[in-house]
Amino acid sequence: MLWVDKYRPKTLDKVTVHDQVAQNLRKLVAEQDCPHLLFYGPSGSGKKTLIMALIKQMFGAGAEKVKMENKTWKIDTGTRTLELELVMLSSAHHVEMNPSDAGFQDRYVVQEVIKEMAKNRPIDAKGKRAFKVLVLNEVDKLSREAQHSLRRTMEKYSASCRLILCCNSSSKVTEAVRSRCLNVRVNAPSEDQIVQVLEFIGKKENLLLPVGFAARIATQSNRNLRRAILFFETCKVQQYPFTSNQVAPPLDWEQYVCEIAADIMKEQSPKRLYAVRQKFYELLVNCIPPQSILKKLLAELLKKLDSDLKHEICHWAAHYEHKMRLGSKAIFHLEAFVAKFMSIYKEFLVSTFG
Amino acid sequence: MEADMDMEMPDPEELEWMESHGFPPEEEEEDAYFDDPNDEGFVTAAAGVVQPRVPPQETAVSPAKKPADEASEGNLKRPPPPPPQEQEDERSKRRNVDCEDSGDEDWLRYSPPVAEVVAEMTISRFASDIRGDCIPITAPNGERVYAKLATDGLDGGGIGGTRQRSHISKPNFNHKGLLSESFHSLTSRAEQEALAKALQESTETQTVEGCPVTPQVTEQLWVEKYSPNSFTELLSDEHTNREVLLWLKQWDSCVFGSHIRATSDDVLSALRRHSSTIQKNSSIRNFFSKNKGGPVTSQDNMLQNAHGGNSEILTSSFNKRSLTDNAPEQKVLLLCGPPGLGKTTLAHVAAKHCGYRVVEINASDDRSASSIEPKILDVIQMNSIMSDSKPKCLVIDEIDGSLGDGKGAVEVILKMINAEKYNSSNTKTSAEDTQVRKSSRKGHKIPKLMRPVICICNDLYAPALRQLRQVAKVHMFVQPTISRVVNRLKYICKKERFKTSPIALSALAEYTECDIRSCLNTLQFLNKKREALNISGFDSQVIGRKDISKSILDVWKQVLQKKRLKRVENVDSNSSTDRDIGSLFSLISNRGDYDVTMDGIHENFLRLSYHDPMLQKTVKCLDVLGVSDSLMQYVYRTQQMSLYVYQPPIAITVSRLVAQVEKPNIEWPKALQRCRTMLLEKKDKLKTWQNQMSPLISRHLSVESFVEDIASPFLHIISPMSLRPVALNLLSEREKDELVQLVDTMVSYSITYRNTKLILEPQERANGLMVSPEVPSLSLDPPISDIINFKGYQSEHIVLSLAVKQVLVHEVEKQKIIKDSAGKLLNQANNGGKRDKESTSEKTSSRVFSNGSAKLNPMTLKMQLNSASSMNGKDPAPAKKHSKHGINFFDRFRKERSVGAKTCNDSGQQEATILRDSRPLIFKYNEGFTNAVKRPVKVRDLLV
Repeated sequence: MLWVDKYRPKTLDKVTVHDQVAQNLRKLVAEQDCPHLLFYGPSGSGKKTLIMALIKQMFGAGAEKVKMENKTWKIDTGTRTLELELVMLSSAHHVEMNPSDAGFQDRYVVQEVIKEMAKNRPIDAKGKRAFKVLVLNEVDKLSREAQHSLRRTMEKYSASCRLILCCNSSSKVTEAVRSRCLNVRVNAPSEDQIVQVLEFIGKKENLLLPVGFAARIATQSNRNLRRAILFFETCKVQQYPFTSNQVAPPLDWEQYVCEIAADIMKEQSPKRLYAVRQKFYELLVNCIPPQSILKKLLAELLKKLDSDLKHEICHWAAHYEHKMRLGSKAIFHLEAFVAKFMSIYKEFLVSTFG
Repeated sequence: MEADMDMEMPDPEELEWMESHGFPPEEEEEDAYFDDPNDEGFVTAAAGVVQPRVPPQETAVSPAKKPADEASEGNLKRPPPPPPQEQEDERSKRRNVDCEDSGDEDWLRYSPPVAEVVAEMTISRFASDIRGDCIPITAPNGERVYAKLATDGLDGGGIGGTRQRSHISKPNFNHKGLLSESFHSLTSRAEQEALAKALQESTETQTVEGCPVTPQVTEQLWVEKYSPNSFTELLSDEHTNREVLLWLKQWDSCVFGSHIRATSDDVLSALRRHSSTIQKNSSIRNFFSKNKGGPVTSQDNMLQNAHGGNSEILTSSFNKRSLTDNAPEQKVLLLCGPPGLGKTTLAHVAAKHCGYRVVEINASDDRSASSIEPKILDVIQMNSIMSDSKPKCLVIDEIDGSLGDGKGAVEVILKMINAEKYNSSNTKTSAEDTQVRKSSRKGHKIPKLMRPVICICNDLYAPALRQLRQVAKVHMFVQPTISRVVNRLKYICKKERFKTSPIALSALAEYTECDIRSCLNTLQFLNKKREALNISGFDSQVIGRKDISKSILDVWKQVLQKKRLKRVENVDSNSSTDRDIGSLFSLISNRGDYDVTMDGIHENFLRLSYHDPMLQKTVKCLDVLGVSDSLMQYVYRTQQMSLYVYQPPIAITVSRLVAQVEKPNIEWPKALQRCRTMLLEKKDKLKTWQNQMSPLISRHLSVESFVEDIASPFLHIISPMSLRPVALNLLSEREKDELVQLVDTMVSYSITYRNTKLILEPQERANGLMVSPEVPSLSLDPPISDIINFKGYQSEHIVLSLAVKQVLVHEVEKQKIIKDSAGKLLNQANNGGKRDKESTSEKTSSRVFSNGSAKLNPMTLKMQLNSASSMNGKDPAPAKKHSKHGINFFDRFRKERSVGAKTCNDSGQQEATILRDSRPLIFKYNEGFTNAVKRPVKVRDLLV
């Protein structure tokens, strides 16, 4: 097992990074009930870990006995019958799923699943915990229709089920859904917190950490705890005992983006743009989200840029990222950003150096 | 009422009848009139014809009615209705109506209606006037009369109403009356004459074309009238013509059983000398072959061969191999090109020229696969037993027409071609032999394609043709030169005595993009209207602009290629750009497929060499392409299709910005499509992999997070440098720990190495690097290393040596089995403990994991690696099973082993169980591995 999984806190008590949030959550479910919850925050900040710990807190060890199901839903839409196949994890007390996997039919999934859960309402002898928890991942990827249908079902079946929604950005969740949930913001852990975690792991693994080593990894991880722990383990695998200036090997796709950035800085011409396009395709084919590419590319470009231009370039990056979300062909917009950058940069070069 | 209905019915039928006879009846009638002795009757009739829709025959008859009262025959005067009964029946009915119709209008004014004069009423407005049975008849204008039903028993009463009614009008059959001969004989005679005339006409137009045919006699379309009849008259590109002919000639050995003679040099030179005379002879030759209609003339054959040989030299594409083969390599010829260039004509003419009888299947025929198959089979297998025993040549026109039905033909042909390839190895016999064999196995096998098939399409890249394109010989039609078209047009205008100027004609040809059909139709139309062709007329509505959608490649070309502006009128440049934009707009909107259009523009525009030092144009282009993308997405989401009209202007903007004069090298936008499909594929792969993992881990993963954060470090982690490829017991304690850790990771992420065939690079092989192909190479499964495999990127990942990988594979397999059995074991324990409380749902087929089992695993693994431990708890199911099977063999070792096992075992279980289970037997069948049961055995044991 990777350290990421091995040292994942299983209960709310053991949560170290977001201990304040964890405390609040524990108080929340102390009454054996809870409102709908919406967890949001950047990836690698510990949302899922918190959710799992919360469920365990609510239901005890029974919630950890999960099984994976490939369930087929037959949905009667009135005019035709849809068949959807979805992978879901379920225990006796909760169901986890990723409704955006169903694509544009996610609406039916949301409705159906909640309905079915309401039907199979668990009956406890004491009348306690008479509800199931439905964990929906990546809610921000749900279509607008699905989110709309979610808000009605949320209210209607609130007696029998609680929803825990999880997403990266709450801005893509509709206002209506947000207002029906208790929003829990999970921040990206600060570098100090990451260092703490790494030191904790190092102690458990009986490793000797040189001074500043953990801090370096924390910086490199860009406040992503998952990345930090993985880097840490990579370092351990590659060379132990650690040397004083050891760094983890960089992420490959980020390295590739750096190459692209270097290409752009070297030459600004349609021909170069065409070469860059091929590299973008390479990245996109390998499932790298275009937003991440743009973000990383911007960061790389800013490193080498004159401070006069930084503001303008950032503005255009935001502009094209917005465009990218509106459209469906990400490559158009990525390229447009690069072209814009090239144009601005070249103008700058010409005006300064003649 | 029923009769009422019947009366309404004949109207359309009659019209149809008139149509089917077309114009000849007119002539026929003329003849009839002149043969008619009662000339004055005809004259009055001419005056009496008021309604243009009344067929001439009736006008010829209705006057016969007028003298009827004078004759006072006591009955209706009707010319004896001739058989064909059906038609005559209708006609007589009409007549009844007609006399009523016109009775109100014209001639009844001065001649009293017959019905009222005759003693015995046959037609009246009142049923009471008629004695006996009567029938109501309604005229088209709503007039209603009653007609008497005939009582004379010519046919007896048993026949239906229509039959009886017809008898009203034929009371006296043998009465010569007004016509000297019977009407029947008159009509038949007229028909014969018309036929003879038509025959004469047709031969005339072919032989002596100098004699102009007056347009008022023939309403034939000019397109048909002047369509080329011989090969040399073809207007299309000479090269294409010859290629087609050559291809057809390659069939000769298969179809006619004769070999193509190689043309000797003297023949060739003679041919060259005669080439000019061939042109002249062509019409005569054509006349011959046309009139004989029987076997192909020897002269014709000779010429064909000469042509074949000639083109063989000319194109030199003819390979010797096809001489020995029966049929050409490519069985199907695919002609494609824009409409009106003469593809169909070429196919027909060439096939005729080579002595085939053309059978055409076009879009108007039923082209579903089931109905077209027998048709094609008929053509390619059977010979006509009719007078001309020419072999047939199948021409499938408009094969790209419809996707659903048109595909049928393509499928059938493809099936036959494929069947051929399948059989080709064992059919190396002569043409006759194959034919015999073919007929014998016709019932159960897909027949071979034994006759030339020519397919014609407009759009080569139609989806239906994708497969056909690969197997067929494709010929693109190019536009003939304008001068060629104009010459032809001039010639035709001269023949038709239509005055035009060459400039106007060339303008017309240019306007219609050398569409000869459209040119001729326009000219004929103008001729009919007696208008002269003038250039200014083009822009007005006189000449219809073709509303064709061009192929997408053409659209891209138009967008990215600037038209060469003629610098003649600089003043007019503004309006010319206007026109350019307009034509571009219509071009793009006619094509309609904006998504692909934009992709194509995006794919290609960067490779144009436009001048753009500051990349402003590029930015602008990409901006508008981005707008197009957002627009597309918006339309898709909101289904407001009307917003699509804003797409063409975007393309035009790009065109105005970057279009260059030189020819762009257009490529199909594969990259984006490829990107999309591969993305989906990879995502799927990752998803399935994720589902294979234990849910405790996979729940924290998503595809994005894996690709972004985990993939690279993960690959580093699972390939540690420090791992030595040595036997397990030689490893140090720490190394063992590391290995355990690594194997555990690999198992929990359900990843392993798998045998893959090493694909050697071709150059490597050439270099003599004799790496034996059996060398197994192990690669990760699922192949996650692909994720970080970017083109032109050198990753720093270490690839483990083969030996280490093999060790890892082995360990992972072992670990998996242990884990499975442990899971089962735990499951059993759980079930045993909680059987009363728990529902049986736990025992579903889905894998059940619990925290406990996960914790258990590292422990068990360690024990296993120490190779002297046993499983705590109960017996794993597979091992138990196996030990029973192999009891006679393994019993020998068990007794000695048990002592050692006992010392290691600290679980405190009963001795009997320990004895039995001290050594878990691991049995797993793996392809490539040995099939045996593995356990450590010392030589000492074997010696006992």
